[in-house]
Amino acid sequence: MSQSGPFTEPPASRSQDPWVAFGRLVAGVGIYGLCGWLLDRWLGTSFLLPVGIVAGAVLGLYLVFVSVRER
Amino acid sequence: MTIAGLVRAEEFTPPGPGDFELPALFGGVDKPMLQLVLAALLVVGFFWVASRRGELVPGKLQFAGEQAYTFVRNGIARDIIGSRDFMMFVPYLVALFFFILVNNFFGLVPLIQFPSFSRASFAYGLAALTWVLYNGVGIRRHGLLGYLKHQSVPAGVSGPILALIIPLEFISNILVRPFTLALRLFANMFAGHLLLILFTLGGEYLLLTSDVAFYKPVGVVAFLLAIAISFLELLVQFLQAYVFTLLTAMYVSGALAEEH
Repeated sequence: MSQSGPFTEPPASRSQDPWVAFGRLVAGVGIYGLCGWLLDRWLGTSFLLPVGIVAGAVLGLYLVFVSVRER
Repeated sequence: MTIAGLVRAEEFTPPGPGDFELPALFGGVDKPMLQLVLAALLVVGFFWVASRRGELVPGKLQFAGEQAYTFVRNGIARDIIGSRDFMMFVPYLVALFFFILVNNFFGLVPLIQFPSFSRASFAYGLAALTWVLYNGVGIRRHGLLGYLKHQSVPAGVSGPILALIIPLEFISNILVRPFTLALRLFANMFAGHLLLILFTLGGEYLLLTSDVAFYKPVGVVAFLLAIAISFLELLVQFLQAYVFTLLTAMYVSGALAEEH
């Protein structure tokens, strides 16, 4: 299905939702924070929740860097 | 406490989230619900009337309708999704853009003056439509497993760290997206409307109710600021409709993209 226009159509831009970075940080902190909290409850410790939150933030940031580099 | 303090009229109560809870007009139907229906009728009516007589040399109305349609068709759908697949999504994107735009403009239309999407549940409803759409076309293009892999396995990551990244990418692409999409629209409309009623009610209080003479010119300034903010809101209302539609197109484009 080619829509013949008076000018050549531009290819789909490879731009990405800039908010995906926000989503990845929230997801990272959320899921690994939750993992840390559950491990804390299971093991009776109290240091794994902050570790999980920081690890999640680091993973989210890493993912943002990778996706920018790959483009 | 001085005598003046005792005579002073009632205290100013700042507007808050409670001002967005409008009473039901009849049978559980309130004003924002009617606004959604009105907006749908306006959008459908405008495009129906504009396209009724499809003349080769368009009249003013047909020209306006064509310009509006072309803006979304070329400016959003074709640029983001690409010329191969975009036509299928143009009807949804055009309807979405103008439905949100009219509902946002209701925030400034005299006598209505309430942006429908400052009620969060409406924004969540629209985001749910977009969520179903982009996941649906993604699953149809790649298959269920292929689509999950497409959305969860990022390019350029390998080794054991991939096991940690996959759940993160899945949550960010499938679960968080509809919430950020809805929140952005809702929060902008909510904050803008709150700002407007704060400056208007505050100005009214300072000018009419307060009995400190110095406050009266401040009330005038508050009214002037309310007018200035109205123009800012006009921009925000257009921008948020545009951003919602643009992101919908981006999500569709991302779901349809070939393997990296």
